[in-house]
Amino acid sequence: MNPDIVETVNVAREVAWLPWAVQYFFLIGLSYGAYLVSLPGLVFRRPGWEGISRLALLAALVCGLTAPVALLADLHQPGRFWHFYAYFTPSSWMSWGAFFIPVYLTGLILYAWLAFRPALARHADEGGRLAGLARRLAYGGHESRNALVAAALLAFVGAALVALYTGVEVMLVRARPLWHTPLLPLQFFVTALAGGFGLTLLFNRYLSGRGDPLATRRMANALAVTQLVALLVGGVWLALGLSGLSPTHAQALAEVAPSANWQLSAVWAVAATVVTLVLAWKRPGSGLAIGLLALHSAWMMRWTIFIGGQEVPKTGAGYYSYQLPFGPEGLMGIVGTAGLWIFLFVVLTTLLPLDRIGKSGATGA
Amino acid sequence: MKDHNPPTAAPATSPSRRAFLRGIPVLTAAAAMAPAPVLAADATHHWAMLVDVRKCIGCQACTVACIQENAVPEGSFRTFVSTYSVKLADAEQPAGTYMLPRLCNHCDQPPCVPVCPVGATFKRADGIVVVDGDRCVGCAYCVQACPYDARFINHDTDKAEKCTFCAHRVDAGLLPACVETCVGGARIFGDLNDPAGELRRRLDAAKAEVKVLKPESGTEPRVFYIGLDERFQGRVEGQGTLWQPRATHG
Amino acid sequence: MKIERRELIAAGGLAAFAVGFSQTLGRMLSGLVGDAPKAHNIHGRSAEPEFSVDPATGALRPNPNQQVSYTACLGCTTQCGVRVRVDRASGNVIRVAGNPYSPLSTEPHLPMKASVRDSLVALSRFQDKGLAGRSTACGRGNAAMDQMNSPFRVLTPLKRVGPRNGGQWQPISFEQLVRELVEGGDLFGEGHVEGFAALRDLATPIDPDAPELGPKVNQVALLSSVNDGREPFARRFWNQAYGTLNFVGHGSYCGGAYRSGSGALFGDLKKMPHAKPDLANAEFVLFIGTAPGNAGNPFKRTGTLLAKGRSEGRLEYVVIDPVLTNADNRAAGERGRWVPIRPGTDGALVMGMMRWMFENGRVNTAYLGYPNLNAAEAAGEPSFTNASWLVVAEKGHPREGRFLRGSDIGIAVAEEEKHKDADPYLVQGPDGKPMPADVATGPAPLEAAAPVMVGDRKLAVNTAFELLRESALKLGLAEYAGICGVPEAVITGLADEFTRHGRKACAIAHGGMMAGNGFYNAYAVVTLNALIGNLNWKGGFVVNGGGFKDAGAGPRYELETFPGAVKPKGTPLGRNVPYEKSAEFARRKAAGKAYPARDAWFPNAPGLGTEWFPAMLRGYPYGVKALILWSSNPLYGIAGLRPLVEKALADPKKLPLIVSVDPLINESNAFADYIVPDSLMYESWGWSAPWNGVPTKATTARWPVVEPKAAKTSHAPDAPAIGMETLFIALAQAMKLPGFGPAGLADIEGNRLPLERPEDWYLRGGANVAFGGKAPVGDATDEDLALSGVERLRPLLEATLKPDEWRKVAFLYTRGGRYQPAKEAQDETNPEWQTNRFKNALWLWNDNVGGTKNSLTGKRFTGCATWQPPAFADGTPMRDVHKESDWPLLVVSYKSALQNSYSIATRITSLHPDNPVIVHPEDAARLGLATGDLARIQTPGGEATCRVIVHEGVMRGVLAVEHGYGHRELGARAHTLGDARQPERPDLRAGVNLNDLGLADPTRGNQAIWVDAVSGTSVRNGLPAKLMRI
Ligand SMILES: Nc1nc2c(c(=O)[nH]1)N[C@H]1C(S)=C(S)[C@@H](COP(=O)(O)OP(=O)(O)OC[C@H]3O[C@@H](n4cnc5c(=O)[nH]c(N)nc54)[C@H](O)[C@@H]3O)O[C@H]1N2
Ligand SMILES: Nc1nc2c(c(=O)[nH]1)N[C@H]1C(S)=C(S)[C@@H](COP(=O)(O)OP(=O)(O)OC[C@H]3O[C@@H](n4cnc5c(=O)[nH]c(N)nc54)[C@H](O)[C@@H]3O)O[C@H]1N2
Ligand code: SF4
Ligand code: SF4
Ligand code: SF4
Ligand code: SF4
Ligand code: SF4
Ligand SMILES: [Mo]
Repeated sequence: MNPDIVETVNVAREVAWLPWAVQYFFLIGLSYGAYLVSLPGLVFRRPGWEGISRLALLAALVCGLTAPVALLADLHQPGRFWHFYAYFTPSSWMSWGAFFIPVYLTGLILYAWLAFRPALARHADEGGRLAGLARRLAYGGHESRNALVAAALLAFVGAALVALYTGVEVMLVRARPLWHTPLLPLQFFVTALAGGFGLTLLFNRYLSGRGDPLATRRMANALAVTQLVALLVGGVWLALGLSGLSPTHAQALAEVAPSANWQLSAVWAVAATVVTLVLAWKRPGSGLAIGLLALHSAWMMRWTIFIGGQEVPKTGAGYYSYQLPFGPEGLMGIVGTAGLWIFLFVVLTTLLPLDRIGKSGATGA
Repeated sequence: MKDHNPPTAAPATSPSRRAFLRGIPVLTAAAAMAPAPVLAADATHHWAMLVDVRKCIGCQACTVACIQENAVPEGSFRTFVSTYSVKLADAEQPAGTYMLPRLCNHCDQPPCVPVCPVGATFKRADGIVVVDGDRCVGCAYCVQACPYDARFINHDTDKAEKCTFCAHRVDAGLLPACVETCVGGARIFGDLNDPAGELRRRLDAAKAEVKVLKPESGTEPRVFYIGLDERFQGRVEGQGTLWQPRATHG
Repeated sequence: MKIERRELIAAGGLAAFAVGFSQTLGRMLSGLVGDAPKAHNIHGRSAEPEFSVDPATGALRPNPNQQVSYTACLGCTTQCGVRVRVDRASGNVIRVAGNPYSPLSTEPHLPMKASVRDSLVALSRFQDKGLAGRSTACGRGNAAMDQMNSPFRVLTPLKRVGPRNGGQWQPISFEQLVRELVEGGDLFGEGHVEGFAALRDLATPIDPDAPELGPKVNQVALLSSVNDGREPFARRFWNQAYGTLNFVGHGSYCGGAYRSGSGALFGDLKKMPHAKPDLANAEFVLFIGTAPGNAGNPFKRTGTLLAKGRSEGRLEYVVIDPVLTNADNRAAGERGRWVPIRPGTDGALVMGMMRWMFENGRVNTAYLGYPNLNAAEAAGEPSFTNASWLVVAEKGHPREGRFLRGSDIGIAVAEEEKHKDADPYLVQGPDGKPMPADVATGPAPLEAAAPVMVGDRKLAVNTAFELLRESALKLGLAEYAGICGVPEAVITGLADEFTRHGRKACAIAHGGMMAGNGFYNAYAVVTLNALIGNLNWKGGFVVNGGGFKDAGAGPRYELETFPGAVKPKGTPLGRNVPYEKSAEFARRKAAGKAYPARDAWFPNAPGLGTEWFPAMLRGYPYGVKALILWSSNPLYGIAGLRPLVEKALADPKKLPLIVSVDPLINESNAFADYIVPDSLMYESWGWSAPWNGVPTKATTARWPVVEPKAAKTSHAPDAPAIGMETLFIALAQAMKLPGFGPAGLADIEGNRLPLERPEDWYLRGGANVAFGGKAPVGDATDEDLALSGVERLRPLLEATLKPDEWRKVAFLYTRGGRYQPAKEAQDETNPEWQTNRFKNALWLWNDNVGGTKNSLTGKRFTGCATWQPPAFADGTPMRDVHKESDWPLLVVSYKSALQNSYSIATRITSLHPDNPVIVHPEDAARLGLATGDLARIQTPGGEATCRVIVHEGVMRGVLAVEHGYGHRELGARAHTLGDARQPERPDLRAGVNLNDLGLADPTRGNQAIWVDAVSGTSVRNGLPAKLMRI
């Protein structure tokens, strides 16, 4: 390359939203995605979905509890999180988000509690590990359908707001053309849903006997649809960008396209999506692979958007090149969030073993 | 008595020779529509800066003075002067140097302000956009929202930071550090509301040549430029610098 | 079992969480504890303003927590007057800005009579004064001050442990230091080392067979850098008290070739006067091998005036340089141009311009005709040349190439004055006969009509003008263009434009002349000025105003000499004297073969640091017993030196004692046996003067505005810090040398006074400055003292100076120096003339050059500007040895716009971390290189791995290396001092230093570095090279 302009002195800006942010957007997306997967079985009582939905709800809960911690860590002044509540700023979507997250989590926790009370009670009755805790949590173990629907509704409102704000918050950043595309919230949503399915699939796979093949197939189909939609949206994005029909998209594409780093991660993300689609479609039985792939593509998509987007200088030439540091602001941060997730998963599945909640009809809800 | 001209009258120069000295087109061709800074309604002052790029020598006195004045951590910058080697087509001079001092534009419509979730960043009545460090949660949303890469997280304080127009000096009746020490005299600081002031007079005199960075972004910068080439008004298309952050912070 | 695994997993998860979120937790906690140091909610950690100024009234309110003082910056050789802001509590410098009284920082500068209060208000927003009277410090200056707190500073005397350059030191006491230096002994367990006392032998000749070499004391030599306002003190000790001849600065590896070329034109090859464009008033300036605003001295003043001139539309300039630098600015468009040129070919370009000027009647022949100043002035010219003087042209005549002098044609001249100053130069008189040039009242002919009759013999003569013209006409324009790579049309365009601005045009050079033909390139560039007659004109070629002398013979104190002062004698180490006066010449001549000498001699050069190392390590003309490196870094700064001498320098047998006085460990003093800490930046005293480029008189006051950090000389309560001065005083006292001690100096009445502390010298020098000039300066008021921090000096001032002196000297310190008013730049009665004028002739022909012979060949040098290809010492063109087919590229270096050679300051490196080598896109394409690639750069002198940056900002076929990187010391290597190890900072090693690739001279047996044959200056431009992908 022999460009006409060569920058001889300039500085780079560091990535300011760190891998923590990727983790947050990933996990909160998984959470509301999985939450949505929980609805057919638990709220709408679609036959064949009960097990799936309970697993999904567990997934939503684990992710939903982990996500805000990652968010907190992405703040450079985490001790000041209360400022969000003390200094509400209506002009900022992030400020609103600080209120949406608790709405969603309150709804989700209530919903999950109401959904899992019977299972907790049984766990206590059967003398499983931490039976005492389970009994106390079960608080009688009754099913209360109305309350459950109400809680689910609250969670739904919360989930919708979270989905909205996480998308819009990023989409509004005009300074980053890659983010500033109206399709972004949709893309976040679709991939979140796919991730939700993927994680549920994974849980399903870990049931004894590798889960219900029917359920696997059902989810694989749903996943195929989400991936197709994701690709379609992506296609529209690309078409808008290439054709120049939409200047924002064109600019976004023009900015990132020449970056080798971005190309790699974008191609990677798309390839992951395509492979997921193909597998889900052609071999819907391969639950583990599709589930993992769906999760991976949802994560890659966010990495590409967040880290890739921040590698584009807003004024200077070329690209900043991000190297994942080892410490908390990089790899250790990612691992730490995963650790928290695993910890919560283990604790919750101790009280609510996957087999108990995942086997279709094992527990009425 | 004295003869100020060469004794031998210079013959008319052939056009080709003059062409050597005159023929190279100036990069800043047609001036785009000059932004007309409006006087702020109520505040007594509206601080602004004018950068006369023609005077910049790329010495980075501004950059380092700002760092020392404002205790900016190593590897971070509130201001710096991007420097470019520009290939020139259709000119006998194969390439030229272009320098561009950059800093916060103290936008009149600052995108960094509305996004702040805790109202920590705001525009003072005198036009200076600042961060209230006692309130900032370090979420870096403003960093993302600034179209000029003018903000960063200060790793010593873990708060958002940016050029303050040296408000602490301006409030004390002094000039910003970068302006005070600008070797080329490229940086002019003053009050948009003072028609007799140096800044306003220069802006008015240079009217048509005055430009801002990314005018299309609607930010209405209050840092103005004379000699700003279109190719550098937005994101620069070209080979990026080889600069790498020295150390990652943690 | 299963359960256990779950627990394990949960625990693992928790642990990972804990690690990953430790920082978050830490931040939450520290958030509770609070931000320390406390930051203002809006201003963050920005420094408190040093004072405030009421924008309505201009009333000043100082900040009692800070001290604001005027002194000099040492971030580069410009030594600008600056304003230093010190935090009183910590003693740390917060920031530096400009001193508004100093023309090196301000344009136009404030008159001295303005009070300190006014000077501070002048920097404020009040009435936009700070914009109009902007006073600046550059980025390097602001960054270099960080070295004051650098962990790499030397703060106590260090003695080498283990071999030289081993990086191991033992801190020792000052007392031990002085004792060992004076007495010597078996200092390192390597055998006896002679101390300074024994080495001070003023009587015994170095070589009884060559008495012209001088006494043995000359075997002690001191290499310094630049006069930072303290050199007269150091010279008083080494030259006058100790008695050695050998004391040189860095000139020969700075811009020495330019200075020599200029010295040839200005008729003084030892002091080498030079002039600069009057940038404040010029219309057209040609910068040939100097990059205004990118580097150059005075760096800031040049940059400021350049920026002003080009944006106001008065000034146009062209920079002729193989490299595109910050001297160009596209926003200023056509007002500034860059013309790429092949390195080391400037002579061809300029001789081409001259040819065109001669052929097109663009040489100011009317001006050139005036043979002396009176005749010139009568015709309204403020300067004159020797264009009309007659030169002996008779082939084989013993005085061929020399000016025809009065004694040559029978005018009576005392024998000892023959061919000296009193022997008149001659021009052709109205009667066609030679007449003394200095008696002519009008113009003299520029062409010698006929031979001169000496007695009855005809003697062919030429005028200097004719010789120059002949030289210019030697080649055709196309040939010149072909050599330098600048198109013919551009050459003629330049010549045309250059001659269109009357006297408001100028051509200068500097570092770009450091090629293998630098002297002639430089002589050619400066001669252009003579051809348009711009010297001493406003807007033209103007000389420095100079400083007010501190170390003179008055008016208040006799600091020039003292009873018992030695007048050093002998042959300088650099052999910058005629070979023909040496014993070697006599011997060889007697043996029938006078030439070649054993090695090159440089009779037309000043002291040559470049030649020192090969000289002292090979013992030609003689070996050296002790070398003092005072704030100089030849191993980093001289091309090719390190590879040539690094081994020998590490060998104490070759050079028994190396002592360095320096605040830092650099590439050179890493080889020292002792390093004595010196004061750094704002800790020193001194009286420094602008190097050039300031038309008014200016002297900058340096004083310790912060306490020196180095250890004290003793435990006594008022003991001064160790430094150059205290060391030399202690050495003098230990050896009982004259000129120092209780009666070391005298006032002008002859009363003896002590010279026992640095202040004894500098404050009295201040009195000379204050009382010098047309009238003494005024008195500092108490308010001046309080506002400038000079209050701190008051007890010292009162104790050291006389009652009528101290407030005047304080006046200088409160204002940071003494500066002639800006408006006095031009002559009151003749506003188009400069006040400070150069009044001697400009020499189109220099017969000192034209009359001397190359000591290796016995061939005469050319005495005027001429084109010669870059060559080795015996005249062999470089390309005859290092063929283009083997070494297709040429490397040059150019100064970093941001760095200096020692300002390896992280505030700069964090912005510009290294120096990728610039490669032209065509060369890069051929070599398969792209920006960011690593490559191997190779010259006959060495090789290095570098990164490349590819763009059009370099001449085809040229590799450009930015100077100031590629350090091995100054923090790049961690030394061990006693038990303490310095920090590891590998980032300070970044980049390459072109000098590590410099060449040895094959025509000198590869025993010396490549230097210009006339000026003896280091060759760093146009080194043959190749580049390979790796
Ligand atoms: N390739 C290449 N080589 C060059 C040049 C180039 O452009 N390219 N430039 C040349 C030029 S122009 C010059 S002038 C020479 C310079 O060469 P030198 O004068 O030999 O060395 P410097 O590096 O300027 O400084 C000498 C030393 O002074 C010490 N020092 C630094 N600050 C202070 C201080 O505040 N006080 C005291 N007492 N000492 C201090 C440091 O140890 C530093 O290494 O290099 C020349 N070499
Ligand atoms: N920024 C900065 N300023 C400085 C200094 C510094 O280190 N940095 N050092 C100070 C000192 S000590 C000095 S001596 C001055 C020197 O100031 P300058 O002389 O202006 O600087 P240099 O970089 O040595 O040389 C000038 C130019 O010569 C070019 N050049 C190289 N070879 C050739 C050639 O063969 N022909 C021509 N025409 N040009 C050639 C180089 O590319 C360079 O741009 O600067 C002083 N000011
Ligand atoms: S980093 Fe601070 S100033 Fe910026 S948006 Fe977040 S809270 Fe506001
Ligand atoms: S330049 Fe950026 S930080 Fe400054 S006011 Fe505008 S948007 Fe905010
Ligand atoms: S105004 Fe102050 S804070 Fe802003 S860039 Fe200049 S020096 Fe830095
Ligand atoms: S100080 Fe002035 S001249 Fe120097 S780089 Fe900054 S803006 Fe340009
Ligand atoms: S030009 Fe040199 S002396 Fe002047 S401020 Fe800059 S670094 Fe200091
Ligand atoms: Mo120099």
